[in-house]
Amino acid sequence: MMGRMQAAVGAGASPDAQSMPAAQPAPYLSAQALVLGVAVAVLLVLVGYPLLWLLLGAFGLPQGFGLEHLERAFTRPQNFAALLNTLELALGAGALSILFGVPLAWATARSDMPWRRLVHALVALSYITPPYLTALAYIVLLGPDAGHLNRLLRTLFGFQSGPLNIFSMPGVIFVIGIHVFAFTYFLTYSALKSVDASLEESAQMLGARPWQTTLRINLPLVAPAITGGALLAAIDSMALFGPQAIIGSPAQIVFLPTRIYATIGGYPPRWGEASALSLLLVALTVAGLALQRGYLERRSYITVAGRGVRTSTAVLGAWRWPLLAYCLLLVFFSAAAPVGVLALTAVSHSWTEPLSLANLTLQHFYTALFQDQVSVRGIVNSFKLATAAAILAVLIGAAVAYLDVRSKVRGRRLLDYLAILPLGLPGTVMAVGILLAFIRVPLPIYGSIAILLIAYVARFLPLATRSANATFRQIDPSLEEAGRATGASWWHAVRRILLPLARPGLLVAFLLVFIPAFGELSATILLYTGGTETIAIAIYRLNDLGQLEVVSALAIFTIVVVLALTGLISWLSGPDRSFAAAPPVRG
Amino acid sequence: MAFIDIVGIAKRFGGLSALLGVDLAVEEREFITLLGPSGCGKTTMLRTLAGFLTPDAGTIKVAGRLLSSPRGVLAPEQRRMGMVFQNYAVWPHLSVFENVAFGLRIARVAQAEIAQRVARVLAAVGLEGLEGRHPGQLSGGQQQRVALARSLVVEPTILLLDEPLSNLDAKLRERMRGELKTLQRRTGITFIHVTHDQAEAMALSDRIVVFNQGAVQQVGTPREVYERPANLFVADFMGLVNKLPGTVIAQTADKARVRIGAQTLDAELSHGLAGPLKTVTVAIRPEAIRLGTAAPDVPANVLRGRLLESAFLGNIVDHQVDVDGMLVRVQGDRRHGLAAGSAVALTIAIGDCVVMRSDGD
Repeated sequence: MMGRMQAAVGAGASPDAQSMPAAQPAPYLSAQALVLGVAVAVLLVLVGYPLLWLLLGAFGLPQGFGLEHLERAFTRPQNFAALLNTLELALGAGALSILFGVPLAWATARSDMPWRRLVHALVALSYITPPYLTALAYIVLLGPDAGHLNRLLRTLFGFQSGPLNIFSMPGVIFVIGIHVFAFTYFLTYSALKSVDASLEESAQMLGARPWQTTLRINLPLVAPAITGGALLAAIDSMALFGPQAIIGSPAQIVFLPTRIYATIGGYPPRWGEASALSLLLVALTVAGLALQRGYLERRSYITVAGRGVRTSTAVLGAWRWPLLAYCLLLVFFSAAAPVGVLALTAVSHSWTEPLSLANLTLQHFYTALFQDQVSVRGIVNSFKLATAAAILAVLIGAAVAYLDVRSKVRGRRLLDYLAILPLGLPGTVMAVGILLAFIRVPLPIYGSIAILLIAYVARFLPLATRSANATFRQIDPSLEEAGRATGASWWHAVRRILLPLARPGLLVAFLLVFIPAFGELSATILLYTGGTETIAIAIYRLNDLGQLEVVSALAIFTIVVVLALTGLISWLSGPDRSFAAAPPVRG
Repeated sequence: MAFIDIVGIAKRFGGLSALLGVDLAVEEREFITLLGPSGCGKTTMLRTLAGFLTPDAGTIKVAGRLLSSPRGVLAPEQRRMGMVFQNYAVWPHLSVFENVAFGLRIARVAQAEIAQRVARVLAAVGLEGLEGRHPGQLSGGQQQRVALARSLVVEPTILLLDEPLSNLDAKLRERMRGELKTLQRRTGITFIHVTHDQAEAMALSDRIVVFNQGAVQQVGTPREVYERPANLFVADFMGLVNKLPGTVIAQTADKARVRIGAQTLDAELSHGLAGPLKTVTVAIRPEAIRLGTAAPDVPANVLRGRLLESAFLGNIVDHQVDVDGMLVRVQGDRRHGLAAGSAVALTIAIGDCVVMRSDGD
């Protein structure tokens, strides 16, 4: 070999070296430019174009410029009530998220309470369960007359009626609170997990008692995470159309998303007013996100420690039992009870009858999965739409992420920002923008299933982009460069080295889009028509018809699909599943 | 014209100048090391040479063929260079065999020949029998060999090595150092090697290129760079050095007499130093200084001082001597047990004293 090598030395200079005066521009630049161009175009059409229409619509365009829509968004009594209700909901849900999330996070992250993993898993379950399903479950649990818990309370304490009514403002806040508290829980949990024990031990060595250490070291360190989490919870609660409509509407309590829905659903649809209300909702969201960003930036000083953090564990003694009771009570009401009661309802002939063997049936599953036309169509459509949306989102997201991580192309930051933007936009708002934008396009998009696909890709693109971004960041660029140095073209190096290594991460990105797209409600409700119903629409409409048993069967089916795919994600992200998790060994 | 001809290469990253007009000529079959502290521009130079970066100014030619200029660069895959990365960049999803065969498959070499060539190169780097392993099952040293084999199998004319030894433990590093040198001799490939380890650079290289702050400080054989450093930075970077501030009292074309404290010594001017000099620094390596006045067989200086402390370091004894208030390290004498505080004489050959411009001049 070595002899051959010697012969090859110097042969690299081609015979016509002299006739080649200038080096060619690197060919991959043009390939990159192509990828960039396509990604920008698709992003602008999917995200930029609808947002532009939203803005124009709020100012009365294209009919005629005017501020009356914006004015009406505040002055019309229904609109003003919706704004106040939305703010009340956000404050309430944010406060609840601290009350629920922080003690739980401390218990699972830092104490020796038993069953910490169970509590942690059930918090995750309450977050994974689509909130409109939790809302349905609470109609069964806390409906004013027939609700299981109400009946139990009446039997136990002899109330004449009630006593609790889920169809109320506290009801909405509670149902949304037990969903969104997961934000505060997870952020606080990871912050607590990243406070190194040496920080506390230093305080201890200086004479601080445990409660002083908690108060003066731990709390200030995790306070930004708590506030940031509560803000996220508040922001998310404003956008949750499902529970707002399912619980709020029967009680005549209107929030901004349900008000927007009513504004467009009425005759004639008032587009300008809907756009103005959407802008108002966006403004609230953006303000909240800006605040939250500020808090999270202050949080950064504790994540500096990175891996290898050793945390201390509080020894609770007898105090762990009351703490455990609180934690179990919470996860019971946020996860176990809603999912359990949906399962129970799904297998009962009639949910108002007492539980007995004679009352058991699988008929509702048969109806939901095979008989009911809307339901069957919804299942098929949801699978199709979620698959297509996830594929498209991963393709676009991967292109955007690649440009951001691997290239120095100008404008890649802006592109990245545009791809992350929809994360802060409520589904209702996206739907209004997309309606306004594509109602005028002479393509058969409006009223077709394509408009749902556009909405899903636009809404969940950030999830794919972030996931692809993180995946590419974990793969050392030298792996591709080594391919280039060995003679592979840009595309060859991407296809043979980057993509195989990124495959597990990109599959996770696919699932991260598939799961929310599968159960999407808040944009779909504005965009579907007869024939393009999805699973969420089927649930929503069957609930309106009062068929709670069939709805529950469909809900359980949805939860099973979502849970199975979520399990797949954590299996894929596990320590041994991805090459990306094992970068080139150092030393 | 040299084999590799680098002229005036400059590169900026935003506001940071990574390279400020680098000129370098490399002959065929040379082992060249780009040496310098982190952030000095050596890796930028290597990556520009590889074709991953486009220079802002300057040209790179190999065998007369223009490869890089601000107007465009020939893509890395078309340069017929090999590259070994600091983290080896062994592809974790491919077996050892497939890692090494990658370049041959790209070049559409016939299957039978691929098997032969991979086997031969794996034997050459001592990895026989590990063809089926995946990188996760290899030690750092073995991964290093895979990276080498992968670059060598395509028979490059130039091999670029980016700190290839820095992730190995000390013992393995020394062994791989020897193997790299042997490999380069046997293959006759031109090696361009980047490191921040001056001992490694001296052990391996035909010539060393010392970088600092984006500029070449000195190009020379290891001995030239060590014994005749062009400036104080190079003197400092190549190893421990005594830097004695002084004033020139007499000067010839290549020598000067310098007052150091209350004493004087004769010293040679460093390369390129000319014109009337006044405030200077005299650089003296610790191992060039002997204790006592035993006259050497070359012209020498004798300085008087007081021994502060001696430390036994095994292969050397490190004496600290106070010469008119200046601390001088002496390592050219293995005697031990001299009383602290005793008066000592330091004998230094004139050729080992180098006059340099003081920092900031």
